[in-house]
Amino acid sequence: MTTLQRRVIQAGMLALIALALASEFSVTFHLPESVSWQLVGPAERPWYSPLVDILPGAAFILAGLIELRPRTRVGLLMLGVGVGLLLGGEGLTLMLARALPPQIVLGAVVIASSVWPVVLLHLLLAFPRGALASRLDRFVVRFFYVALPLVSLLALAIMVVEPTFGIHSQLLFGVATGAALAVELAFLLIGAGLVIRRWLLGGRARRRSMSPLVLAMVPYVAVILLSLGGIVQYQIWRIPATYLEGLLMASPLALVAVPVGVWIGLLRSGLDMSSVGDLVVQLSGGLVPEKLQPALAQALHDPSLQVAYWLPAQGWFADLEGSRLELPTSDSERASTVLGDPAGPVAALIYDSSLRHEGQLAETAAAAVRMALENARLQVQLRAQLEEVRQSRARLVEAADSERQRVERNLHDGAQQQLVTLLLSMQATKAEALRRSDRATARLIDANMAELKQALDELRELAHGIHPTILTQAGLLPAIRSLTDRCPIPVEVKGELGDDRMAPPLEAALYFVVAESVTNAVKHSKGRRMSISLDRRAGWAAVEVSDDGVGGADLSHGSGLRGLTDRIAAVGGRLEVKTAPGEGTVVHAEVPCE
Amino acid sequence: MLIVDDHAGFRGVARQLLQGIGRQVVGEVGTGGEALREARRLKPDLVLLDIQLPDLDGLDVAASLSSDPEPPAVVLVSSRDASDYGPRLDGCGALGFIAKADLSAESLMALLES
Repeated sequence: MTTLQRRVIQAGMLALIALALASEFSVTFHLPESVSWQLVGPAERPWYSPLVDILPGAAFILAGLIELRPRTRVGLLMLGVGVGLLLGGEGLTLMLARALPPQIVLGAVVIASSVWPVVLLHLLLAFPRGALASRLDRFVVRFFYVALPLVSLLALAIMVVEPTFGIHSQLLFGVATGAALAVELAFLLIGAGLVIRRWLLGGRARRRSMSPLVLAMVPYVAVILLSLGGIVQYQIWRIPATYLEGLLMASPLALVAVPVGVWIGLLRSGLDMSSVGDLVVQLSGGLVPEKLQPALAQALHDPSLQVAYWLPAQGWFADLEGSRLELPTSDSERASTVLGDPAGPVAALIYDSSLRHEGQLAETAAAAVRMALENARLQVQLRAQLEEVRQSRARLVEAADSERQRVERNLHDGAQQQLVTLLLSMQATKAEALRRSDRATARLIDANMAELKQALDELRELAHGIHPTILTQAGLLPAIRSLTDRCPIPVEVKGELGDDRMAPPLEAALYFVVAESVTNAVKHSKGRRMSISLDRRAGWAAVEVSDDGVGGADLSHGSGLRGLTDRIAAVGGRLEVKTAPGEGTVVHAEVPCE
Repeated sequence: MLIVDDHAGFRGVARQLLQGIGRQVVGEVGTGGEALREARRLKPDLVLLDIQLPDLDGLDVAASLSSDPEPPAVVLVSSRDASDYGPRLDGCGALGFIAKADLSAESLMALLES
């Protein structure tokens, strides 16, 4: 719409209001008796008639002029309602009838009076964007744009030509007015149904802007229902019918609330846009990625909003934690806006599909936060890479553990088994030597057996150090007890780890922390006692090994503790060492577990 | 007696040892599955059962045999130590455990007499 067109519309509308005001004046003070009787009957006009004629129409027109904007039809629709209301007013009708043939004026009045309710329905269904969203809405609105004026004109035509039909005229008139009533009733019911449906199906964002308008309709609907119901039931309610007819006549006054509702609704939409402005202000103050999603959710009034970051290396969208997110399909309850080039997007917003009807709100917000999203995306990418590294480290540790187990098994089942069988053979040989009273040979075999037993013990220790069988067989606590049973320093084991076994990588990680700490304490601490505390609660398992030795361990030397720190980190845990001089050493490790 | 071990060399030495103390060896098998089948068929009074078997865990075989109506006495053996198995040894229904390195006529007799 060009500026010139807008100016013309504004001037025309203001002129129409002025004309309507003038007509009220002329009707009230200069009404020719003949015209008055012909058009509105001889009844006296109530004192509030000028208000009913002018106020609702003028309110719609003024509000429509304010909202007359290039990209939305809301203003035009409001002008349509306003013009219809004004043209249907008594004063203007009478004044026009003085200049034009009454039939033409009546036809125009009938069309105006039957079209403005359809325009109002159009407004309700298209608010706040100004365009009808669903195919059903479009069909219904178009149908009634044609049907309502048509049946009303038909009824008027029959009324005008009625006398020529003779005895059939009453029947014909009855059919025509009946058809008009049926179409009007259908319009009211279907229109109300569509508005309620739209309000119910709309998400939080749509209801937020639509609610003021729907609420503004309540007084009008209430007045109509009350007066219609009252006229039917006036004998029961004992309310004089004239009062109720007066109420029905004054009912358009209740429509004044609607432009106010439109204004509040648009203000809310406008506030939503301005909240995007607030978001930009927040961003300029520095917004950490974690706050970005809540800030966007607040700006768009959609708590379910999610930010999905594009990870080019992986080729999918992910949340802030790096977990994969799928964009919704077009027919789902969720909608999305992708930022950046479709071939190489930056991020996407996933939100309630009702926000799609809120004009450019989501796109505007997304554009406003694009830079911040780009930064956040880089962070997410980094986190996803870190997560990959963590997982690959965990896989390496797991692979190393299973390799240790394999070597341990091979030692036992291969070399150790052979040596044990050899030992038993030597025992049998010794028994045979003794049976032959060959004591010298028996002693020699004894000496060899002692050597062999020592070799077996060393082999068993070696295998145990590589991967203790008891850890696989019986779990962490028995493995720790077995370890402490062989420890030369007294060790107290406190606490429990629960009945359920932990995952093998967790058990191995904690076991090797205890084993390495006990070995270090025995070798270097010069302590006399050690204590091992175990704890498992709220998704965490912890071990703590402490000694009463000299402390002051040099953590930079040796790869033992460094390797343990890595091993614990690989399973998502952490390791702390306190070793102040003279205060012993405390090694604390904890890992997340079910 | 039934000897269960996947290592043929050990089975030979064990047979020699058991026969040396006057025990009759009715069978020798190398897997847990065969051990269960033969123990139920031959009904030996004693089973010398290795824990590390290629198919089943010897501790599970012992537990299964101990739930039979007339269970044989089971002596578990392993090239590993008792401490490697921890509390699992106590609940498997076996008569006892002897590390293979400590297996002798004396240790076996001592266990059977206890």
